Amino acid sequence: MPSNLPKGYKHISKKFFKEHDIEAWDKVEIKKGNSIFQGIILPRNQFAEDGYIEIKLKNGYNIGIKVQDLDTVRVVGKNPPMKVEFKGVSVPKDRAKPNVTLLGTGGTIASRLDYVTGGVIPAFQPHELYAAVPELADICNLDTKIVFKIFSEDMEPKNWLRLAKEVASLSNKEIDGVVIGHGTDTIGYSTAALSFLVKNLKIPVVFVGSQRSSDRPSSDAAMNLIHATQLAANGDIAEVVLCMLGSSSHTFGYIHRGTRVRKMHSSARDAFKTIGDIPLGKIDHGEITWFKNNLVRKSEVNSDVDTVCSTKIESKCALVHIYPGMSAEIIDFYIDKGYKGMVFAGTGLGHAPNHTFKAIDRATSEDVTVVMALQTLWGFTGMDVYSNGRKLKDLGVIPADMIPETAFAKLCWILGECESKDEIRTLMITNIAGEILPREEIRGYRILQGRTE
Amino acid sequence: MLDPETISFEEIGFRAGLEVHHQIQSKRKLFCNCKPELRTETPDYMFERRFRPVLGEMGDFDEGMLIEYEKGYRVIYHAYTECTCLYEQDEQPPFWPDLEAIYAGYQLAHWLNCSALVDVGIVARKQYLDGSITTGFQRTLIVARDGWVEVNGKRVRISNLTVEEDAARKLKTENFGRTVYYNLDRLGIPLVEVITDHLDCTNPTDLKKLGEIIGLTLRLSGIGRTGIGSVRQDVNISIKGGDRVEIKGVQDLSMFDTLARHEIVRQDMLIQIAGILKERGFEKSHLEHTYYEITEEFPSDSIPKGLSVMAIRLPKFKGILGLEIQPGKDFGQDVFEKASLISGILVEHMYHSDELSDNAQRRRNKKLPFLFPLIDKSLDGKICDVLDITERDAYCVAMGKNSWTIHAMKKIIERLKYALDGVPQETRRLLPNGNSEFLRVIHGKDRLYPDTDTPALDLELQRIQSLKSKVGKRPWELEKEFSEKYGLKFNQLQNLVHENRLDDFLILIKDYNIKPIIAYSYLTETLKHLRRKGVNTSDMGVEEIKIVIQQGLKKKNNIYDFAAQKYLEPKKV
Repeated sequence: MPSNLPKGYKHISKKFFKEHDIEAWDKVEIKKGNSIFQGIILPRNQFAEDGYIEIKLKNGYNIGIKVQDLDTVRVVGKNPPMKVEFKGVSVPKDRAKPNVTLLGTGGTIASRLDYVTGGVIPAFQPHELYAAVPELADICNLDTKIVFKIFSEDMEPKNWLRLAKEVASLSNKEIDGVVIGHGTDTIGYSTAALSFLVKNLKIPVVFVGSQRSSDRPSSDAAMNLIHATQLAANGDIAEVVLCMLGSSSHTFGYIHRGTRVRKMHSSARDAFKTIGDIPLGKIDHGEITWFKNNLVRKSEVNSDVDTVCSTKIESKCALVHIYPGMSAEIIDFYIDKGYKGMVFAGTGLGHAPNHTFKAIDRATSEDVTVVMALQTLWGFTGMDVYSNGRKLKDLGVIPADMIPETAFAKLCWILGECESKDEIRTLMITNIAGEILPREEIRGYRILQGRTE
Repeated sequence: MLDPETISFEEIGFRAGLEVHHQIQSKRKLFCNCKPELRTETPDYMFERRFRPVLGEMGDFDEGMLIEYEKGYRVIYHAYTECTCLYEQDEQPPFWPDLEAIYAGYQLAHWLNCSALVDVGIVARKQYLDGSITTGFQRTLIVARDGWVEVNGKRVRISNLTVEEDAARKLKTENFGRTVYYNLDRLGIPLVEVITDHLDCTNPTDLKKLGEIIGLTLRLSGIGRTGIGSVRQDVNISIKGGDRVEIKGVQDLSMFDTLARHEIVRQDMLIQIAGILKERGFEKSHLEHTYYEITEEFPSDSIPKGLSVMAIRLPKFKGILGLEIQPGKDFGQDVFEKASLISGILVEHMYHSDELSDNAQRRRNKKLPFLFPLIDKSLDGKICDVLDITERDAYCVAMGKNSWTIHAMKKIIERLKYALDGVPQETRRLLPNGNSEFLRVIHGKDRLYPDTDTPALDLELQRIQSLKSKVGKRPWELEKEFSEKYGLKFNQLQNLVHENRLDDFLILIKDYNIKPIIAYSYLTETLKHLRRKGVNTSDMGVEEIKIVIQQGLKKKNNIYDFAAQKYLEPKKV
């Protein structure tokens, strides 16, 4: 019985390995009809199909061979399992340079590549990062801390709170800025949440991720990390922002306000857009240009006032997309399950089907906060325009002039902070962190459709 | 240097093989749904990228990749909304591959007698940092191994057959080669790469024939796309005591003979140089990375503002850089070409001490590089003083922006250290005169790793096997038939295939008993003449051709005159 069975295989392949006493990394010779293949047995992706084995040929290519049609297989050599050591680069601290702390949440900002399996090994410690992105050493003294290791899609409100506490404590220290590496799936929720959870922030907090993973030569990870670090080190802003490439080119990065940024493409480099407005600014070859002047400036913050962090967050909140024919049962479900708040991404100016009103009425009368944001993303709510909106308002639905994800994060924060209905409503409709725009300029609404006629 | 014209290939131990890249006929690109077509008009949009090497598992960068990164390319892409999408822009994961193109690869594998066909395809990534592929890696898939073709009566082994995506087309470079422009139209077009064993060809004649046989196979099988740029070959060459050197992207098979001869003399000379250095007691540690700034030694105003001149001492190298290693090119220039490509300093702005001689290779060119008129006997003396040069030493000089110049010097020293080891494994670019220059370090097998974006492709084994029945007569079988039965040569077979008239030819001689030479000359020469006179010959079927030939034979016994009259002056016939 082999002790080191190759990983990632299911039962037919596993049985085959056991029968032939084959271990991972063994060099084998396989005969099949007239064909002879020599190569190394590899571990493999666990979701790959059963019934075949994967070998790495001498020329570097991997191939798969069906086990059922093999004539003979024989182990011709044993290889020790590959050991991975990492040398890294150590850089001494330079007093003249700004101090930046990089917080890790689980996304891979930099990584090493396992050439045998194609797997990715995250690189996060300063010496690893300096090896992967040597430019960082010229920008600042970098400290790193892994706060947690969670895929962005698995993030929960309690993780936002944990991250916010970390940021608040750094803001009160002699640190020039914070960079937070985050998977891009839900990064926009986290930027919004931290914008509310941390009060009296004194330094830039820059979220960053990559749209093309760092194990590929064309990755945007290094460029984004350099931009984010430059912004955290030198930016005159004391807000939560996101900084990633502003176009398909590896040239400049845009700086987006944490409460207005949204991921608008599943894979493009410039997936992140400021919704309802233009970005706060841009960073190009280390030079920061601000487009907006309504920023909280780092240079103007009273450094005697401590940064504080909320102590609680309500995770029993839901984000519900309104759609034609949706059943009122969906709303009842959340009430029955004890949810404290619901954000609707409503149609049009902030509408929901008439047949859901009864359930909505039940929700508000049972003290479930119901907030109306917009699935159009752009534009303000207008719940006084049509009778549907007026009725919803009358049922106690609170209009939220912000993107649904921000409304959701804000509601989680508010319900952690207070219980009074009036207070909740007031906070929800008051601009706290740039989430509610005072006016909308046409410049912000730029979904270019490629035609001008 | 050996005389390239009188080489004994056997004595020198010449070994060569080919990597033939041929585009596949397909309806779409390999990993996306864009049309596989080339564009010449102004691009619809452009974007810019930079590439970085990826850290390997041990936390270090691959040497070859690092050299690519050192070139510091800024890459600008030309794109077209009709034939490029976000996939070519590397902004989106691959679509499911075009299985038709992959099965075409299997069909070719049968034509090439491959015995080992792969049942489950695993897409791999092959790294390139030159910008030719937006992802930084080419997606490639091995479909078969262990085949053979027959070339001049000998078997040449096919070691691997892969299906992969084509790279973007290089348009131009700017800023001393630091900014590279590519057109994205070609990126992603499926191609097959046929790799022959690089030890199996022992002379350039066989090598050329090998290229022709593979090309013909692709035409006969109907797999290959036709048109300009649809086929490119890399030539691998080594000699006894040398090493594998790859000469990349040769489109014209008639260049094979010259490039092979020029590469042989280069490798032979590099081996000789290693011998001389050993004799002189040279060790790698003798070369030090000490750079002397000598700008002030030059007459004031002779060096453009902002540029400086640096020099390095090369102990025991006197006479070596001036040795001719390819016709009209000395060793020094070969070294400079590499340093130039990596650092951006022009070859014209580099100089070595052997070039002081009136007989120096570059002095024979009337257009003298920049530094030449400036460095005379007296300045040479001054430089020797500054560098403390003794009788057995040489020196190199380069001019440019300070950091670029130091970079160039560093590369010169690294390359000269290697001179002690003989022939470095390199990928080289063919020059119009048959010489070649450094392009990159040969990529190792380690730069190939599984593509995690595409699951393993479970292919239909029955379909793969059934493709075997579609295999027709191979080129070498037809060659034999042509020579034995019809008295026609290989090039005449090639002409018929290129004119798409092989089937017509066989019908004419087999079904209508027309003499092979008459059928051949009508189908190739006569039709070509008519075409030149403006006659549309592509619609002419074998029946029509048969009648014209038979009538021509009867009436005038001069088929061409008859055909010309029939098609050009129809009233007279």
